[in-house]
Amino acid sequence: MLQRSVGLIITLILGMALAATGGQAGGHSLDILDSKASAYNQEVGHLLRWVLGFAAVVFVVVTGAMTYITLKFRRTGKETGEPAQFHGNDRLEVMWTIIPTIIVFIIFGLTANSMFKLDKPSPGAMTVDVKGWRYFWDYNYPEYGIRNSGELIVPVGKPLILNVTSGDVIHSYRITSMVGTQDAIPGLINHIRVTPEKVGDYYGQCAELCGPSHANMRFRVKVVPQEVFDKFIAEAKAYQAPIPTDPTLVKGEILFKANCAACHAIKGVSQGAPNYPDLTFFGSRTTVGSGMWENKSPYLENWIKNSPGVKPGSLMPAFPQLSDSDVKTIAAYLLSHKLEGLDFNFPNSQKY
Amino acid sequence: MAVTAPNQPTRPGLGAQIWDLMTTSDHKKVGMIYLVTSFVMFGVAGILAVLIRVQLHGPEQKFLVGETYNQVLTLHGATMLFYFIIPAGLNGFGNFLVPLMLGERDVALPRVNSFAAWLFVFSAVVIYTSLFFGGAPDVGWTFYYPLSKVQGPGTDFFMVGVLLLGLSSLLGSANFAATVYNLRARGMGLWKMPIFVWSVFATSMLSLFALAGITAASLTVLLSRKLDLTLFNAGIGGDPVLYQQFFWFYSHPAVYIMLLPYLGIAAEVASTFARKPVFGYRFMVFALVGIAVVGFLVWAHHMFTVGESLLFQLVFVFFTVLVAIPTGVKIFNLLGTLWGGQLEFKTPLLFVMGFMFNFLLGGITGVMLAVVPFDYQVQDSYFVVAHFHNVLMAGSGFLAFAGLYYWWPKITGRMYPEFWGKIHFWLFLVGYLVTFMPQYVLGFLGMPRRYYTYPDGLYLWNQLNFTSTIGAFILALGGIAWVIAVLESFRQNVKAPDNPWGGYTLEWATTSPPPSYNFAVNFPRVFKSERPLYDWEKEGLKPTPVSVADIHLPAPTVWPFMTAVGLLISGVGLALPWTVGNSLNGWLVVGILTFIYSLFRWALRPEYDQPVEHHTVTGKSNAWVGMAWFIVSEIALFGILIAGYLYLRLAGHATPPVERPALWLALLNTFFLVSSSFTVHYAHHDLRTNKFSPFRLGLLISIILGGIFFLFQIYEFANFLQHVNYQQQLWANAFLMIVGLHGAHVVIGGTGLSLAYAQGLAGKINNHEQGTLEGASMYWHLVDAVWLFIVCIFYIW
Repeated sequence: MLQRSVGLIITLILGMALAATGGQAGGHSLDILDSKASAYNQEVGHLLRWVLGFAAVVFVVVTGAMTYITLKFRRTGKETGEPAQFHGNDRLEVMWTIIPTIIVFIIFGLTANSMFKLDKPSPGAMTVDVKGWRYFWDYNYPEYGIRNSGELIVPVGKPLILNVTSGDVIHSYRITSMVGTQDAIPGLINHIRVTPEKVGDYYGQCAELCGPSHANMRFRVKVVPQEVFDKFIAEAKAYQAPIPTDPTLVKGEILFKANCAACHAIKGVSQGAPNYPDLTFFGSRTTVGSGMWENKSPYLENWIKNSPGVKPGSLMPAFPQLSDSDVKTIAAYLLSHKLEGLDFNFPNSQKY
Repeated sequence: MAVTAPNQPTRPGLGAQIWDLMTTSDHKKVGMIYLVTSFVMFGVAGILAVLIRVQLHGPEQKFLVGETYNQVLTLHGATMLFYFIIPAGLNGFGNFLVPLMLGERDVALPRVNSFAAWLFVFSAVVIYTSLFFGGAPDVGWTFYYPLSKVQGPGTDFFMVGVLLLGLSSLLGSANFAATVYNLRARGMGLWKMPIFVWSVFATSMLSLFALAGITAASLTVLLSRKLDLTLFNAGIGGDPVLYQQFFWFYSHPAVYIMLLPYLGIAAEVASTFARKPVFGYRFMVFALVGIAVVGFLVWAHHMFTVGESLLFQLVFVFFTVLVAIPTGVKIFNLLGTLWGGQLEFKTPLLFVMGFMFNFLLGGITGVMLAVVPFDYQVQDSYFVVAHFHNVLMAGSGFLAFAGLYYWWPKITGRMYPEFWGKIHFWLFLVGYLVTFMPQYVLGFLGMPRRYYTYPDGLYLWNQLNFTSTIGAFILALGGIAWVIAVLESFRQNVKAPDNPWGGYTLEWATTSPPPSYNFAVNFPRVFKSERPLYDWEKEGLKPTPVSVADIHLPAPTVWPFMTAVGLLISGVGLALPWTVGNSLNGWLVVGILTFIYSLFRWALRPEYDQPVEHHTVTGKSNAWVGMAWFIVSEIALFGILIAGYLYLRLAGHATPPVERPALWLALLNTFFLVSSSFTVHYAHHDLRTNKFSPFRLGLLISIILGGIFFLFQIYEFANFLQHVNYQQQLWANAFLMIVGLHGAHVVIGGTGLSLAYAQGLAGKINNHEQGTLEGASMYWHLVDAVWLFIVCIFYIW
């Protein structure tokens, strides 16, 4: 530890420490004010322009006064006698109470107006139940009877109501570039209302300290064209895990049932448990480990072998008893569960 | 102790100095205990901050991972807030300077004060002791339920530490309130006090009203961890958000506890270095009080994302933007104070200028955060991190250093090297901006706070985080410059004159450092403004010397210190599993015995060795005024918990079980408790008329009645628990928690009465010197009143 920190300090001082190490899935351009992503962001951008305008005035006045004072009233040593001993100026003081009062009342009015506007129910909205668990997000589409863990798939241009809650400690659900945060609190349901307006792959994060892997509780929201979404729904509803014929997959299913099925559900294979991720059509996910790595075999194998090792505090135990080839087999088996003809990977230019 | 030679020729040894600190009740030494602890803690927490920045300098680093990172994060936050920014200004500078500025010899309750100071130190020891018992707390300084229920044992130590700290803070604040209320130089009206004294007064009020919030929060979390006793468990209808209401009810006003004393410091420094009076004294006081009042009505702006109703949020938006107005007034008045002056840019004034610039940024971003739709987007992001460091670190923190440099000559008797002071300032200013300006941008780019890692390739995150880490190292260099300034000051040993800056307030009218008795003069009784030294010089008034031999100070005693030691040991015992096998753990046994024994020894040790006439402004005794302020906070504590219960009950979550505690028993108990209130009252009356035997008898009967009440209550609880499994019943949780807390108060009040009884037996109290009785009987009446309320809401309703 000591050696490492000394090394770090040296590289820091030399300014050469920008190299990354792990290969986690990044590549998103996050911008909380992305006005094309939603009307919500546009509204906030509009509000902020007002606030920043007032802020600029206040900033210029105060820093201007500070600069003037510093230059003008600096002691030179040539002064004779003491400076004028005035104790205040009522008119001035009333003025610099009233002007800020007017400003904050305007800001309050604008804020209230926006809040009412954004709170309006959206007709024809689709509901998704979002539940946070240490450390992943679970989604249910009550209107379609579909469960999906880790990645949220929604159509572009359709109003959404996300019912956010938690199964254990408090989390907070943030689709960073699209809409504001709401906390996921056990026993309560909070609502996020938004209409995604731009197709793309949105980066999401947990925004309330929830334990050692708070930083690793990431997710992706895939905003897809309506026809893709319809296809997704149709296939997901009808999905049944295929009966494996390939000998690797046959072995994979046996291993899965022996090691994984108590916690993880795969429709047609296992019931799993509600507080652990559903792995039905897992092969169609783009990330593994709750948005941490690309959903590819080497990352998936690391994850299966030693989940708490790559993600501190992960509730999934390590499986040292499984051989490397067993792990590979399980990974292949999981990746074989796919929705046909659907690909939720986006190019970097569409990652927000 | 009669004062002997003012300047001792030989320096006492280290052992003697430590013994002196343990036994002292001198407000200056008490202030030193706070100041040294808090500035050392600033160093510790600052190093932790650098470690955090090292971990975050690039993506996917492995230096501090997961739990370890969360521990460092929690200790950094908790230490900076609870052990630096709150105590340095209020308790550190406050204790050292308020009696001096008021022209008095000491605070109202000197021994309670030294007890509070040691308890403050020991509460930090309890929290850091967790390192030896399974790791530091890792739940963030906010310890949100249910995270704080499920994480490791460090949280127990954290909760106990916060409870002890809360007690210390309450006593400290009650003491300040009583001091300002009761002890001022003759002729000094409230409106002639220096602004700094006003700021300490306003802060103490704030803290007396607000502290109950954090006591309630930490107590409920501790109980939920130890006994599964909780109001927040969603599984049985409890509400996790209620925890946050408790927590922020303190922790937002606490932001102003962290700010107001420093605004006082800024005003003093600006006035002295501009050679002018403060601009708009009355406005500044109104603004202080305004901030203190409105500061109470904004707590839920930390909770905009928990799903409260639109109207609820709007109310808090309104008060949040409103609080910007008095805060703005403070800044404008500071500018007015400097305007037209002859500014000497010594280190303290530089820090004040730096404060104004940074606080301006913090204020603007604060108003931005009140814009709720925007707040939703940056809630718990680096925008918030940058904002609160802007107001706390670069705001209050800068002023803490302004105060330190300003009063350094007065406190240590030495000048500091101006060169190193200025290097310190510039490194802090530049380091601060380089660290935190990128964090604002990171907020706009969506980086949440409390993340130990982030992936590579998120737009600009790598570059901005790296820049921020460079800034942290510049800040660390600033810290080193500060340490050099301190060491150089001691090495160069340039003797400070009484009034090196030409200050206007009374602390500059004595030697540097001040003698134990502060002043050997009687001041003129004419106070024209808040600048007595200036006014007296203009009018040619001079203080008249008094003989040092006639000054009597409180006698030194080690028992307040030992009482705090008892709480330290019990605190560790409370944090550890309570029982080992079938008996209490050893820490609890030793701790409680030490506590009780020391408390009685303390009570039996008279404050002064010879009878001393006390002059107080109100005519009430200091003990009376102190206890009155203390009771305010006790009422707030019950008020908060009961409000929580009422909410759960009215919302239909907490319904009483079929087998309720019996009303007849409660009424019988009411009879005992109400009777005891009468007997205490008559005992007190007898004492005042010097009838000692009826006094002792009355007191004994009261104690016995209290004991009977308590035994009945234990019987009732045992009975109730046989019928009801409280872990499945929310109402039972509320009942056991609130009625149990009242039971604890009966024990505390009974102990207070027993102290007075012991004093009575030893013949230590009389009509003139009422010892513990005055406070204890007031407290007993409070316990009684709360009980009547409890009977209504738990037994009758």
